[in-house]
Amino acid sequence: MNGIVVYSELEETALGLLTKGRELASELNKPLSVALLGEQAGDRAENTFGYGATQAFIADSPALTPFQASTYAAALKQIMTHAEADIILIGSTRRGRELAPRLAQKLSAGCVTDAISLSVEDNRLIVERRALGGNTVSAKVITSQQQVVAVMPKLYDAEPMTGGAGEVIPVSLELQGPTTKVLERRPKEVGIGNLEEADVLVCIGRGLNDKGDLSLIQPLVDSVGGMLGCTRPISHEYHWLTEDQMVGLSGKESSPNLYLAIGISGQIQHTVGVMNAKVIVAINNDKNAPIFKIADYGIVGDLYQVVPKLTEKLQSEFGQ
Amino acid sequence: MEKVEFVVVGAGLSGLATALVLAEAGAEVLVVERGDYPGSKNVTGGRLYLGPVRSYLPDLWEEAPLERRVVKERLTMMAPGSSITAELSSERFRNPPFPSYTLLHATFDRWFADQASARGAMVISGYKVDDVLQKDGKVIGIVSSGDEIHADAVVAADGALSFMAEKTGLLKPRAAKNYAVAAKEIIELPPHVIEDRFGVENDEGTAQLFFGSLTAGIHGGGFLYTNQASLSLGLVLAIQDLMDKSGPNLSNEESAFSPHNLLEAFKDRSEIRPLIADGHSVEYSAHIIPEGGFRALPRLFTDGMLIVGDAAGFTLNLGVTVRGMDLALVSGVLAARALLRARERADFSSASLSYYETLIKESFIWEDLKTFQHMPDFLSNPRIYERYPSMACDLLEQILWVGEGTKEKLSTTILRTVRQNLFRISVLRDLFTMRKI
Amino acid sequence: MNIIVCMKQVIDLEQIRIKPNTREPVTKGLPLLFGDFEKCALEEAVRIQEKHGGKVTALAVGSPKLKDTIKEALAIGADEAIILTDPMFNDSDAMGSARVIAKAIHKIGEYDLILLGDSSADEYSGEIPPRIAELLDLPQVGFARELEILEGNDQGTNTKTIRAVRDLEDALEVVELDLPAVVGVTSELNTPRLAPLSAILKAGRKPLNEWGPEDIGITADEVGANASVVEVLSNLAPVQDRKEIIYEDVEEGVAEVVKALLQEGVLTQ
Ligand SMILES: Cc1cc2nc3c(=O)[nH]c(=O)nc-3n(C[C@H](O)[C@H](O)[C@H](O)COP(=O)(O)OP(=O)(O)OC[C@H]3O[C@@H](n4cnc5c(N)ncnc54)[C@H](O)[C@@H]3O)c2cc1C
Ligand SMILES: Cc1cc2nc3c(=O)[nH]c(=O)nc-3n(C[C@H](O)[C@H](O)[C@H](O)COP(=O)(O)OP(=O)(O)OC[C@H]3O[C@@H](n4cnc5c(N)ncnc54)[C@H](O)[C@@H]3O)c2cc1C
Ligand SMILES: Nc1ncnc2c1ncn2[C@@H]1O[C@H](COP(=O)(O)O)[C@@H](O)[C@H]1O
Repeated sequence: MNGIVVYSELEETALGLLTKGRELASELNKPLSVALLGEQAGDRAENTFGYGATQAFIADSPALTPFQASTYAAALKQIMTHAEADIILIGSTRRGRELAPRLAQKLSAGCVTDAISLSVEDNRLIVERRALGGNTVSAKVITSQQQVVAVMPKLYDAEPMTGGAGEVIPVSLELQGPTTKVLERRPKEVGIGNLEEADVLVCIGRGLNDKGDLSLIQPLVDSVGGMLGCTRPISHEYHWLTEDQMVGLSGKESSPNLYLAIGISGQIQHTVGVMNAKVIVAINNDKNAPIFKIADYGIVGDLYQVVPKLTEKLQSEFGQ
Repeated sequence: MEKVEFVVVGAGLSGLATALVLAEAGAEVLVVERGDYPGSKNVTGGRLYLGPVRSYLPDLWEEAPLERRVVKERLTMMAPGSSITAELSSERFRNPPFPSYTLLHATFDRWFADQASARGAMVISGYKVDDVLQKDGKVIGIVSSGDEIHADAVVAADGALSFMAEKTGLLKPRAAKNYAVAAKEIIELPPHVIEDRFGVENDEGTAQLFFGSLTAGIHGGGFLYTNQASLSLGLVLAIQDLMDKSGPNLSNEESAFSPHNLLEAFKDRSEIRPLIADGHSVEYSAHIIPEGGFRALPRLFTDGMLIVGDAAGFTLNLGVTVRGMDLALVSGVLAARALLRARERADFSSASLSYYETLIKESFIWEDLKTFQHMPDFLSNPRIYERYPSMACDLLEQILWVGEGTKEKLSTTILRTVRQNLFRISVLRDLFTMRKI
Repeated sequence: MNIIVCMKQVIDLEQIRIKPNTREPVTKGLPLLFGDFEKCALEEAVRIQEKHGGKVTALAVGSPKLKDTIKEALAIGADEAIILTDPMFNDSDAMGSARVIAKAIHKIGEYDLILLGDSSADEYSGEIPPRIAELLDLPQVGFARELEILEGNDQGTNTKTIRAVRDLEDALEVVELDLPAVVGVTSELNTPRLAPLSAILKAGRKPLNEWGPEDIGITADEVGANASVVEVLSNLAPVQDRKEIIYEDVEEGVAEVVKALLQEGVLTQ
């Protein structure tokens, strides 16, 4: 067995994984292919060759709708057999996270989810992921015959290559129909968009007393042309901001030039999302708050006093 | 309603020692601690004198997470711009049995709690005891968040300002003069840096105590202990003096006399700066210490309840250093012994529990507290924090200083200093008090 | 409704220290507790039981400290607990742990629902729920933030289904599956109750079973370090070199911070 297969239900993610897959395939000297499942699988195949796939395994079956981890895992297992693949890279979306371990168990294989880096050393695929709640990064090697790796969905940008070409291979799958019924799909409210790309990210936490007090924060955000994010309680418990504004282990990761934490204690599950910020500033009224340990600058004080003063000062500096 | 044989309130060293001994004898004991873990809310300087404790709690120390054994003692007398340090390095301190160790509550108390649990005690953290249940003047249990737990006897191990002792009338709200407040910081440094800076080997440590101008005339002192990979640095300050200087609000950050600001100034002294350079301050805490000594001791028992450790005021303040942990441990052991005897007789009345007081009186706790009962008077004298250290430092400075021009005869320098500073009534009075300590 | 809740004991992540010179995490001697997601799973199980009857069993694989930690699960409301602490299970990878859990569930035998945290607080890998679902050949759903049990009757036989709201990136999906099933939950599901002190005392009297490898029929080639197929090469904290300049005076802080930000060039005028 020798080959890398890429799969994600998100096209952008699949193409990003192919882009990285090209590099890994050449270092490991393995062929690179893509698995496409569902109705329009065939239409999407051609495009993948421009990103490095040399084979596109396409399959459709009524059993693939709606998504059920066990069915998709069975499908990918069969495709891996066709492709004679020993490595599969899956987008670590929520669905990917349900799917990857199930597939791994079907293959009696090792698995790593939420990979944040892939590299090759001594002909082995080294996968990094966060551990201990985000306190550390661990480097792992999967030693089973087959390897399942779920990679953070936005880790690698899709970059086309020149002169890619490949073969479309339809696969007929043996699948049992899904037993899960999807009764309803409610799209989520979207907030202010792409926090991942913010230059200045201002986040609020439970130090804020009331949703109405957001009116105190917004002028500060505006004065520095930033984006507003939050900790998990703010979006998921209080619903003061939308869920896509949540930063951290289970939310967004961002590498802004400036990250400003307001009323945030600094628990690792949150701060891991901003560890790569160039400068970190924290405002908290508890001088022992862990956020100060990872801050470049900190002001110990009540945010209701500090924020207006800071806003005023910034506005006067920036003439707004 | 639930019932257990014994409830211990507070999982500090005193409460845990009580629970450990009770559980070891097969008694059913519940320890309730309001902090998230044992060792998360209480504060200590961090130097445990094991000498007095070993015979009461043998076989426990081999595996204990103690930080470093103290092999070097330093005493520093500080004047505003100078200081004199005496250092004692003794082979006796370097050979077992080692007299004292440094420790950190966070690791030590947790380990100690595990020892008590392993012997069958239930140690439950994250629950605050809100009230003492009393019936016909007898303590019969505790209340936590409205939940009643009944017990044959309750042990108040809830530290300085014990609400348990107050609720049961054993303790009158005590006067400010009987308390000190302490501010402490833990500063992380790699072990080899600590060993280099303090001139000790692996697992060896130092204890340095400071008195003089660092407390700005307030009765108290400073301490610096070496842990495995951190330093414990702090100040102890008498509350009455602090209030006299800066008003009743002790946490007034604006005041130069706030414990926090005095600690900052202390850290900035040239004697301290190089010792803590590049260190990471990982924790700041403040806490109350009972300092009334022998004369402020409360009654130690009532029907169905005993008090141990800081709750009972078992601390020995010998000026710059505070001894409380060894007293806490031993008072806990003695309380457990008294309770086990009461259990045998199925009698938890005041008369039966008075045996605890007998045990305390037979122990070093009572003797030492008595021996040093005049210490608080002596130590409340501001001259030992301002005038005398300054005098000594000035004198030594003048003797050692070689500047431009001629140097006067040493005897002249000394005589002048003595004449200016020591021929005073107050000094004679101070010498007279000293005889008592 | 018989519900099994899988609980993982993790070290208190807030207490982890990083050795400054080596970047290694210091985890020795730290307190152990259950993750938030697992506590929500247990709370939900207890609520379902309060409504539909049946039994809640807490199941945990881990160090001997579980004997203490598990009391919290019993206090919150599990009727019974099963802990597996044999040294053979040490240093298992996710597949090894999943095998132990699946075999223990198999031995328990009668169950309608298996609830887990969607991901554990320390690993956050989310591998266990799908893996045990595969091993037990059951349907699964992850990221569940609302649950409802529907009991019906289909031509004389009782039917049980579960309706879950699954939290996807861009949508909430309401799904329905037949029981038994494996469900991984998130902390939005509920707010776990704080057990009263007396419940913790009572917990000491509830059945606590300790099972070893023989009880569940597992051998050292299926679990533990030797059976692991994921090798950890290193586990270090990323290098963080922050200035940690903290102002305790608000006026000064505001002035200095703005000045510093302009100097750092992270704000452009
Ligand atoms: C598996 C898992 C995944 C998680 N993922 C995430 C994640 O992705 N993102 C996330 O954010 N969290 C996540 N969490 C939750 C995380 O552990 C913390 O609970 C959360 O980050 C805490 O949010 P907070 O700092 O707003 O609240 P708190 O911890 O309550 O802190 C509030 C802070 O505000 C300060 N404060 C209060 N009043 C004032 C005032 N007037 N002025 C100034 N300061 C004030 C307080 O001192 C305190 O430090 C996750 C948890 C788990 C178990
Ligand atoms: C800064 C400082 C330096 C010191 N230096 C030294 C030294 O170097 N050497 C030395 O031997 N001694 C020293 N001492 C004294 C020593 O620390 C104490 O005497 C000793 O720790 C007292 O132990 P304890 O168990 O009585 O009280 P504590 O350790 O204070 O424990 C009391 C416990 O009860 C809990 N509690 C309180 N109320 C409740 C409630 N209502 N419900 C539930 N739980 C409750 C608290 O959270 C706490 O954990 C120092 C003290 C301080 C503050
Ligand atoms: N050792 C374990 N014992 C019991 N349950 C576990 C164990 N490990 C993981 N789980 C369960 O599986 C969930 C997901 O864990 P993980 O796959 O490690 O992210 C956890 O929230 C637990 O409910």
